[in-house]
Amino acid sequence: MGLAQFIIRRILLVIPTLLGVILLIFAVTQLFTPEQRATLYITSEKQMTDIESVIRQYHLRDPVFNQFVGWISQVLQGNLGFSKTGNGPVLDVMLRKLPATFELVVWSIPITVLLGIYLGVNSAVNRDRAADHVTRTISIIGWSLPSFWLGIMLIAIFYAGLGWFPPERMSIPTFNYVYLSGEWHHYTGLLTIDGLLNGQPWITVDALRHLVLPTITLVTIQIALIVRVMRSSMLEALGKGYITAAKAKGLSKGEIINKHARRNALIPTMTVAGLLTAGMLTGVIITETVFNIDGIGRWAAAAAGGGGTVPDVPAILGFSLFAGIVYIVANLVVDILYAYVDPRIRLV
Amino acid sequence: MDVRTRLRDFKASIGPAWSELKFTLRRIRKSPLSIVGIVIVMVYVIIAISAPLLAPAVDPRDPYAIFHDGYGPIPRPPGSPVLDSYVIGRGWMAHYFGTAEGQLDIYYGCIWGTRTAFRIGVLVVVISLLIGLLTGCLSGFYGGIIDEILMRFTDVILAFPGLILAMALVIALPLSWSIDIGFLILVILILFAPILIGRFLKIGNIRAFMLSLLGLATFAILYGWVLGNPLIYPWTLNLTNLDKVLIALALVGWPSYARVIRGEILRVRQEDYIEASKAVGCSDFRIITRHVLPNSIYPIVIMASLDIGSIVLTAAALSFLGIGAPVGFADWGQMISFARNWIWAGIENPWKYWYTFTIPGLFIFIFVLGWNLLGDAFRDILDPTLRRK
Repeated sequence: MGLAQFIIRRILLVIPTLLGVILLIFAVTQLFTPEQRATLYITSEKQMTDIESVIRQYHLRDPVFNQFVGWISQVLQGNLGFSKTGNGPVLDVMLRKLPATFELVVWSIPITVLLGIYLGVNSAVNRDRAADHVTRTISIIGWSLPSFWLGIMLIAIFYAGLGWFPPERMSIPTFNYVYLSGEWHHYTGLLTIDGLLNGQPWITVDALRHLVLPTITLVTIQIALIVRVMRSSMLEALGKGYITAAKAKGLSKGEIINKHARRNALIPTMTVAGLLTAGMLTGVIITETVFNIDGIGRWAAAAAGGGGTVPDVPAILGFSLFAGIVYIVANLVVDILYAYVDPRIRLV
Repeated sequence: MDVRTRLRDFKASIGPAWSELKFTLRRIRKSPLSIVGIVIVMVYVIIAISAPLLAPAVDPRDPYAIFHDGYGPIPRPPGSPVLDSYVIGRGWMAHYFGTAEGQLDIYYGCIWGTRTAFRIGVLVVVISLLIGLLTGCLSGFYGGIIDEILMRFTDVILAFPGLILAMALVIALPLSWSIDIGFLILVILILFAPILIGRFLKIGNIRAFMLSLLGLATFAILYGWVLGNPLIYPWTLNLTNLDKVLIALALVGWPSYARVIRGEILRVRQEDYIEASKAVGCSDFRIITRHVLPNSIYPIVIMASLDIGSIVLTAAALSFLGIGAPVGFADWGQMISFARNWIWAGIENPWKYWYTFTIPGLFIFIFVLGWNLLGDAFRDILDPTLRRK
C-alpha cells in the first residue's frame, strides 16, 4: 500500500469516531433541561430573554430522535450556541481566545518532547546508575504534582517572592501598545512572533517572560509520559542484534546511540505524542486559570461554574467538541507521520 | 492418609506459589522506591482509619463538614488558639495547621480529606474496573459485531481528554435525576437482542446488526410519533455533588480498562489450555472467570494502582475549578481553591499565608506520589514478562 492510500484509509476511519463524538455530545445535552438546552441554539443576547420561543422553534420538548436532526444541522452550520461567560457566540469566542492558548501550547509541546527524549535516552543509556535514578524520580514527582498547586507554588516563589516572571499574558505597556495604540498589526495572533514582525522586540521579550511559568508547569506535568516511553523503547532497542553488530563494527558509543538505537526507539514515542495533546488540552484549563491567561482553557473553567453561578452549557459542550476534534486530528497526524517514518506500518 | 502425608502434599501443592511470593518480597525489598510507595500509602490508610481519633468530629452527624471557628475572612497561622467556645467544648484547643478563609480548620480538612480521597479513588477505580471487565470480556471473548460496537464506543470516549468530559458530565448530571430505566433497557435490548439471538440461529452478524437497526427505527417511530413519548419505568435518583464527581470519573475511566482487558483476553484466548477447557465442555462463564481472568489480571492491577493517584488528581482539579465537593466539605482540592486568593494577599510578604495552599497541596502530592511509586514498582515486580529480567 502506498502512503497516499494509507492516508486516505486512515482519514476514512476518522469519520465513525467523529460521528460518535458528536452523538456523545448530543447524549450529554439530553441530560439538561429544555431551558438549559435552548441556550445551545441561541445566537444573540436578545434571544436570551425569550427562551420559550427558542424551545418551540427547535422542538426541544419533542422526542430525542426529532431533536437530534435539529441540533446537528445547527452544529454543521457552525452555530454552537451563545456563551454567557464569553459574551458572544461560542465559535467566535473560541476563535478569539485560541491564540493565547495556542501560543502556550506551541512553546510547551516542543520543550516537553525534546527534553523528554533527551532525558529518556540518557536514562536508558545509564541504566541503574545515578542519572537514571534521578531522572525517573523527578519524572514521577512531576507526574504526581497537582498542576494547579505547582502553578500556585511557582507564582509564590518566582513572582510574589523573587519578582522574576509575572503571571497573565502580557504586562500593561504591552497591553496598551497592542490594543490601544492602533499601531499594532495582528499577523499570527501570537505575541512572541507578532512582536518581531511589528518590529517591537520588547513585546516579544515581555511575552516570553509571561510564558516562562505556565510553560514550566505544563512541561513538568507532561514530561514523565515521554521520558517513560522513551526510556523503555530505548532499552529495548539497545538490546537488539543490530546494536551488537554496530559495536562489533567498532563504532563509537555516541554513534551507536545517536544513529542506530535512538532512531529506532523514537517510533513508539511518537504515538504517545497523541496522548500529549490530550494532556495539554487538560493542562491549559488549569494552567490558564492559575496564571490568569485569557485563553480557551480559562474560559472553559469559568464556564464550568467557577463562580458558583449557573454553568454556561454551550461553552462547555463547544469546548468538549473542540477538544474531541483536536485529539482525533492529532492522532491522525501522528499515525500518518508514523507511517511516513516507518514503512512497515503501511504494509498492515 | 495420615496427617504427615497430607501436610507434605499440601506443602508440595503450594510450593510454587510460596516461592513466587518469596521472590516477590525479595524484589520489593531490593527496590527502595517501592518501599517508599508502600509506606506512604500505609500512612494514609492509617490516617483515614483513625480520622475520628486524630480529628474528633465537631458535628458528629456530619464529620465531613470542616468546622468553622467563626466566619472571619482572614486566614490565621498554625497554632492559633480556637476562639469558638462550642468548638473548644468539643476538645479543640488550637488550629494545628492554621485556618483558611472563612476560618475553616486546615488540619481537620486535611485529615478527613484523606477519607474523601480514598473514597473517590477506590470507588471510581472499582466501578470503572467492573464496567471495563464486563465490556472487555464481552468484547474480547465473543468478538465480531459486539466487539466492533463496544470498541467504537470506547474510541469515542477516549477521544475526549478525561478532565474535559468529566467536567461536562459533572455539570450535566442533575442533583435529582429522573431517568426512564424502562426506556433505556428497551433500547439496549432492541440493539443487542438480534445479535445474541442471531448467534444461536446462525443468521450472520451483519444481518443481525441490520435487524437491530431496523428494530431501533421501528421503535423510534412507534415511541416518538405513534405513542407520543410515554414514560415506561421512571426512576428517581438523588445525588450529592461528590456522587456526581464519582459517576463522571467512572464513566470517563472505564474505557481504558475495557481496552486492556480485551487485549489480554485476545492474547490468552489463543492459548492451548483455553482450547482444552472448551473441549472438556466448560461454560463460557467458567472459562472467563476461572481460566482467562486469572491469567490476565496483572496488567489490570498495575493499571488500577496507578489510576487511583490520577483519579484523585482529576477530582482535585474539578474541586479546584469549583465543580467538585461543596464548600466546607473535607476535600483537598477545594481547600487549595479557596487558598488561591491568599497568594496575592500578602504582596509585601508572599509567604504570609503559606499554610493555606502549601499544606493541602502537600497532602495531595504525597498521596498521588505514593500510589504512583507503588504502581511503578508493581509494574516491574508483578508483571510476569518483566519480573525475571
